Amino acid sequence: MMEVEFLILLLISSIIAGFLGSLTGLGGATVLVPIYTLFLGIPMAYATGASLISTIATSSGAASAYIKDRITNVRIGMSLEIATTGGAIIGSLLAHWIYEHHLVFILFIVFGVVILSSVYPQIEKSSLELPKPMKPDWTTKIFQLYGEYYDATLRQEVKYYGIRWWLGEIVMFFAGLISGLLGIGSGALKVIGMDWAMNLPLKVSTTTSNFMIGVTAATSSSLYWLFGYIEPALAGITAVGVIIGSYLGTKVLVKTRNTRLRLIFIIILIFLGIEMIIRGVSLWT
Amino acid sequence: MDMNDVIGYALRIGVLISVSLIIIGFILLSITPQFSELMSPNSRFNTSVVKPEEVFRGIRKGNGVDFILLGLMALIATPVVRVVLGVIQFAMQRNIIYVIITLIVLFNLLLAIFILPLII
Repeated sequence: MMEVEFLILLLISSIIAGFLGSLTGLGGATVLVPIYTLFLGIPMAYATGASLISTIATSSGAASAYIKDRITNVRIGMSLEIATTGGAIIGSLLAHWIYEHHLVFILFIVFGVVILSSVYPQIEKSSLELPKPMKPDWTTKIFQLYGEYYDATLRQEVKYYGIRWWLGEIVMFFAGLISGLLGIGSGALKVIGMDWAMNLPLKVSTTTSNFMIGVTAATSSSLYWLFGYIEPALAGITAVGVIIGSYLGTKVLVKTRNTRLRLIFIIILIFLGIEMIIRGVSLWT
Repeated sequence: MDMNDVIGYALRIGVLISVSLIIIGFILLSITPQFSELMSPNSRFNTSVVKPEEVFRGIRKGNGVDFILLGLMALIATPVVRVVLGVIQFAMQRNIIYVIITLIVLFNLLLAIFILPLII
């Protein structure tokens, strides 16, 4: 019964990935793709296809809860999706070109670099809950980049507004590109786009980023489908596993102070990042 | 009902339908020889040749793989429905610029789903 063993292995890996992903806000795919490709022998195209599908599932599940909380800024999210979906189309086409030309080592190396670069923000967790106010610019008014929400930790109503919409769009284009290329949600890059470029509060950035990931991933996964990179059994199990994992993650998140968990996660990320680069280089030479 | 709630429910229902279809698919698939073919890292399944009408025909025959495929399609369709509801929401608020923005996002999605397959 090899296949039952394999099924259980896939399910456990995707539950772990979903669990870690929701605890850290990086999404399941960041650890999922390395586990699948490095340890389970699944081809890169199928691993990224499955992880894209699972990203839609977790984003849709979480977004429905966040919209209820009214922290997500639907306007800002939607306006940035122009760039993420555009980037996702280009990224998926680029991924297809890379697979066609048997240059998959590039994806391993890029994936490794992306993982390692997401370690830094994990260590240097932004201590500032709210950004320093900056002067609104012309984009603030045209694109209605403002809102308010009730912050439960600060116990106050927070009013905010975003600036530099165009800079946000540029960062989002690359977030979409990376997402289409590597089959990840690239939530970290999306948060940078809103947090750093548009000066939005962290809570708004993270929830809005999560809201956007589903639409971005739907764009790339339909192209992945077209290219034949989605293996139904693999993608199906992964979607179910990651949903279970991220549900467990949110339950644990409210109960623990997660400094130790974060340290473990950082070590896992560094290990997987280096392994991916080593694999890429060995495929190259 | 508030449009935000409608969107929230739509997302949840989409995920629920898709997960149910996937699970039904696995139960049906597990008793067929195709199961071992798909449950392996060397699986050669290729979605690029899958046609929607074949999936629906397979559903009527109780074909497990087609249930899973339909579940995956439902999952991909959920964000599309969400964006369509977004257009309606902004139209109700008479927010012209955001109706246009959301239509552009919808266009990108439909470009990836329907138009690019015709070209590539």
